[in-house]
Amino acid sequence: MSATVQDTSEKQAATTTTMLEASGLRKTVAVGFFRRKVEILKGVDLVVREGETFGLLGPNGAGKTTTLKVALGFMRPTAGTVRLGVGRQELGYLPENPYFYDYLSGAEFLALCDRLFAFDAAGRTERVTALLRDVGLERAANVHLRKYSKGMLQRIGIAQALINDPRLVLLDEPMTGLDPVGRIEVKEIIMRLRQRGKTVLFNSHILADVAELCTRIAIMKDGRVAWTGEVADALGSNGHVRDLESFFMEVVRA
Amino acid sequence: MRKVLAVAVNTFRETIRDRILGVIILFALAMIVASLWLASISLGQEGRMMKDFGLVAVSAFGLVVAVFVAASLVRKEVEKRTVFVIFSKPVSRSEFIWGKFVGFGATMLVVVGGMTLFLFAVTWAVARSPSAAILVAGLLVYVQLLVVMAVTVFFSTFSSAVLASVLGICVYVAGQLSHNVLSLTQVSHSEALKAVTRGVFYVIPNLSAVDLRASVVGEGAARWAGVAAWTAYLGAYVVIALLAASWSFGRKEF
Repeated sequence: MSATVQDTSEKQAATTTTMLEASGLRKTVAVGFFRRKVEILKGVDLVVREGETFGLLGPNGAGKTTTLKVALGFMRPTAGTVRLGVGRQELGYLPENPYFYDYLSGAEFLALCDRLFAFDAAGRTERVTALLRDVGLERAANVHLRKYSKGMLQRIGIAQALINDPRLVLLDEPMTGLDPVGRIEVKEIIMRLRQRGKTVLFNSHILADVAELCTRIAIMKDGRVAWTGEVADALGSNGHVRDLESFFMEVVRA
Repeated sequence: MRKVLAVAVNTFRETIRDRILGVIILFALAMIVASLWLASISLGQEGRMMKDFGLVAVSAFGLVVAVFVAASLVRKEVEKRTVFVIFSKPVSRSEFIWGKFVGFGATMLVVVGGMTLFLFAVTWAVARSPSAAILVAGLLVYVQLLVVMAVTVFFSTFSSAVLASVLGICVYVAGQLSHNVLSLTQVSHSEALKAVTRGVFYVIPNLSAVDLRASVVGEGAARWAGVAAWTAYLGAYVVIALLAASWSFGRKEF
């Protein structure tokens, strides 16, 4: 398996809007008492196009979360460029292992997120209620977030990422900590976003979910994109079907 | 402005629900015990003693809350990663800093206001010598604490919460003494020393200039024009400290 970036959809690339584009993206951070330099991203090239459900895969420490952080401006790139196709007003983001305000209820937290977009107060309650219903938390609307289980926090996290009806949704490990029911519910949310033509990029270690949900994937390894392309290409065709897990292992072991 | 307000309302709600108002109850208990004791030993001076002791207690209790909460106000959001949710939305780091400060400022108004009103009530009930000057003095304690809060928030953007707290307390102490230091060094024959101390005097916020304790207990009349001018100066100091905090926080990577 080649460790270079491949892409089989160049024709499509010419006709659709790019929602995220990273080119030669590098990020070095200083760690420890002696500020030792560690290069986390070593030249990431990545393109996510409008309407795609894109899976960003890779072993722990491959640079998936850092790529998202740099794309979102939480970190500055050491070299290279990264560009989002939308502004903050049209962006939704769920951080990895989300943690929210302990003393706010689910409804209050979503109302806060709504206010941060400076949306009109009219209709806020309806928007919040609808979102809570979508993520299955309407009964916990008035419960403080410190009393939420991990799965409930993950779902309220997804709800806050969708409060502005974004065109681009970035979900960092959205399935983490969820029981099978929670996982199915999150998958349903992603499927609904896909049906509505939203662009979704998510990280996940659950490759069966990625194979089911994504149109394209990128596999990161050691700070670079080792493979990118259609899920169908990864799974193989012409009777030579393999599962995504074995393909993933081929790429990361190459 | 709406986003600053949204962050401020959230901060106010969080800090109030975090049992911070327990400080007022603690203060009330301390005041009741102290006033009974002072009344038994002060030989007709209980009103004066209670006002003096009470205003020192308002400052001390307020300082502890102001410094320790301000030091973790922004840091806690970084450590708990709630900043990822906030900054993935169209909120600038400067709006965040101002919102956090305004929200905590409102909480401190409740805390200092509550303690001052209780002091006013106790001096009325025990010593029969209420004085509206107590209320003005309490308001100016609040102004002093706003300065300490702003400076502590600034320190917390680049140092640990413990160090920011220590530095905040140092600024408070230095601010109480800066006028005395200036007076002492003016008797020096060294022009260089005079210039340096004058420079230090202008850099350190002159908190003692708005300390009305002496006039409240009848040891001198307040010069109101001077107090108003120094209050305006401290207001400008708060703005400068918050601009510096915004600049420092804007450079931070998460």
